[in-house]
Amino acid sequence: MTIVKYKTNIQCTGCIKSLTPVLNNLDNIDSWKVDLESSNRILEVDLDDNDKETVFNAVKGLGFEIEEIS
Amino acid sequence: MKEQYKIAGMTCAACAVSIESYLKPQDGILEVAVNYPNQSVTIEYDNKIALETIQQKIKEIGYTLILGTSQDTQKAFEELEEKRLASLKSKLVFSAIFSIPIFVMAMFFMGKIPYENWIMMALSLPVLFWSGAEFYTIAWKKLKHFSANMDTLVALSTGIAFLFSVFNTVNPQYFLSKGLMPHVYYESAVIIITLILLGRFLEEKAKSKTSSAIKKLMGLTPKKVMVIRNGEESIINYDEILKGELIILKPGDKVPVDGKVKKGTSFIDESMISGEPIPLEKTKGSKVFAGTINQKGALRIIATKVGNETLLSQIIKLVEQAQSSKPAIQKMADKVAGIFVPIVIGLAILTFALWYFLAPEASLTYALLTPITVLIIACPCALGLATPTALMVGIGKGAEQGILIKDAQSLETAYKIDTLILDKTGTITEGKPQVTNIIWDENIISDTLEKVVLAIESESEHPIAEAIVQHLKASKTPGVTIEAFQSITGLGAEATFENTMYRIGNENLMLQHKINTPHALDQKANALKLEAKTVVYISQQDTVVGIIAVADKIKATTISAIKKLQKIGVNIHMLTGDNEQTAKAIAQQVGIKQFQANVMPAEKGKFVEQLQKQGKVVAMAGDGINDAHALAQADVGIAMGSGTDIAMESAGITLMQSDLKQIVKAVQLSKATMQTIKQNLFWAFIYNLIAIPIAAGILYPFNGFLLNPMIAGAAMSMSSISVLANSLRLKNSVIN
Repeated sequence: MTIVKYKTNIQCTGCIKSLTPVLNNLDNIDSWKVDLESSNRILEVDLDDNDKETVFNAVKGLGFEIEEIS
Repeated sequence: MKEQYKIAGMTCAACAVSIESYLKPQDGILEVAVNYPNQSVTIEYDNKIALETIQQKIKEIGYTLILGTSQDTQKAFEELEEKRLASLKSKLVFSAIFSIPIFVMAMFFMGKIPYENWIMMALSLPVLFWSGAEFYTIAWKKLKHFSANMDTLVALSTGIAFLFSVFNTVNPQYFLSKGLMPHVYYESAVIIITLILLGRFLEEKAKSKTSSAIKKLMGLTPKKVMVIRNGEESIINYDEILKGELIILKPGDKVPVDGKVKKGTSFIDESMISGEPIPLEKTKGSKVFAGTINQKGALRIIATKVGNETLLSQIIKLVEQAQSSKPAIQKMADKVAGIFVPIVIGLAILTFALWYFLAPEASLTYALLTPITVLIIACPCALGLATPTALMVGIGKGAEQGILIKDAQSLETAYKIDTLILDKTGTITEGKPQVTNIIWDENIISDTLEKVVLAIESESEHPIAEAIVQHLKASKTPGVTIEAFQSITGLGAEATFENTMYRIGNENLMLQHKINTPHALDQKANALKLEAKTVVYISQQDTVVGIIAVADKIKATTISAIKKLQKIGVNIHMLTGDNEQTAKAIAQQVGIKQFQANVMPAEKGKFVEQLQKQGKVVAMAGDGINDAHALAQADVGIAMGSGTDIAMESAGITLMQSDLKQIVKAVQLSKATMQTIKQNLFWAFIYNLIAIPIAAGILYPFNGFLLNPMIAGAAMSMSSISVLANSLRLKNSVIN
């Protein structure tokens, strides 16, 4: 399992609501959370494999900005 | 606009008819269909009429249309009905308390108590004007719209009996001076009201039960749900679940939504949806359904369908629809009453006119007395008692035999059934996996092996392992200690005992470890599979040494019951959510030619509907939630006593012993009850047919005979008593 962190512009619980079904439905994601407190709105994803692209595309697809940071 | 609303205040099927006939001609109303059992109305209307106007119109004839959203409506309706039931009960108790002394005075003292008539009058007042007030208000509202129902008849006969009695109490001289006895009929009036209130109360109680099936179905979903939101676990209310939400299911939890497994392995009991008796293994990607129960192991599921979209909600909707589409046979009696009332009134008026204009002497006295005698003798008491008394005795007789009849209509219909649909699991079969065969290799000493099997299977969580443990426990004591136990998901389990490796599991487990199966055992295993049994292999090192067959056993009485039903001309179908092979094997074993496998719950109900459209009178027997829709849809729904509460509440009949032979008994009971009802109706009618003309004075021109109103009253009681006695005869009828 790999933990991947992304910098995003996910703003509020409403954004998280729209993100929830999309991320939950990704097969390779075990768990995820967004730190709304941090200035970089870090999305931390626990990946089953190394396929970071799917997460990137899914979040991007919802209209958020996303950028891998580690 | 076409909408369905709840209506409160309907007391009989004739109410439904009168609402329909009153609303239909209104400007702007296109279509009206009132459903009495469901207490609802479907109205199609255009903008020429406002909903509030419709509500007002309905109020005018004495009913309440409940507006609002479906959830509010259901609640408001339930509250209204609860209030109604409570008030009906107090009216009934009140009425009975006052009626008994009147009855005793009238029957046993007859004028021996001072001021007896006055006392009886005082006691009757609250019964008539409080307990029975509704009859008069409904009759009055009906009269304003030139219609009549059973209430009209009750109001008329009790009202006339009462007024005539009051007249004779206050002014006994009038008839005495004409050489006639001034009799009073308070007891007839109050007893009729009490009996009819009793009937209504029983009916209302039965009606309120149907909605509790739906409530229970709704109760299958948990109130609180644990979800993971933004990486954190939190507990939320059921109705806050969103699509795509990640839900945590612990062992024993009810599944709240339809969804798919994201993580974890567990067994889920889906018998309520699929009828499949063995809990199903769920791994990543498997579908789960709301209302099913997670057995062992934790799961994380993603909600794919929530709220009204779930399969369970669909079942609830179908049950509701089926319950509301039941035809109301009761309409018959009210139709008869609808014709009977005007005829009797007509006859009374005719009697008055004939006596007034044609009688040679004392014409006014006779013109007054004879129509009253006609009205008293035409009292619907015997007619009203004919059906309910027989049904009550029939229902009691059924209860004695372990056949619980919830709605009388099922008892009225059961003898007419020509098609019976049987659910497989739990109805034809026991409904839980059981060991049917254990076959060991000839060269094996099975005793120790059984102990090893027991020890290994005791460790396993698989439902089939549980069945094997149950079976072996009955005869063996676990005396061995196994080592290195390992459960292999989807395949079975393994462990070592005295340095020997044992494996227990399916064929794939054996293939994976290249374990060879002796030819004889292999053949036997194949034969068992053809009988739709699940075969478990047991290996010692690299050879299969035994096989255990597990299946849902057919109940001991099933085969003979099916034969008996076929003999009396009932065509039997079997439906199951199970696979084709299992269905075929079971159908063959029990002698059913028509069967369908892989049937979903909604399809069961549709199948019943299809047969009904072909003109068949369909009975359905089942035990699960998946049968609820079909049970409610069928003309006669029969639930197995060992089944779910939902099934029992959707069905009209519940069999206490989960035994198909009871269905034969129910049919016999229905036949005997209907025969009694027909005899009762015959006697009630014949009596009216003969007594009314005599009361009107038809014999007078020939031999001067005029029926004394007191004898008319006594004759009326006698007809009721004869109906009662005939109904009680049913108690001794032989049903086997």
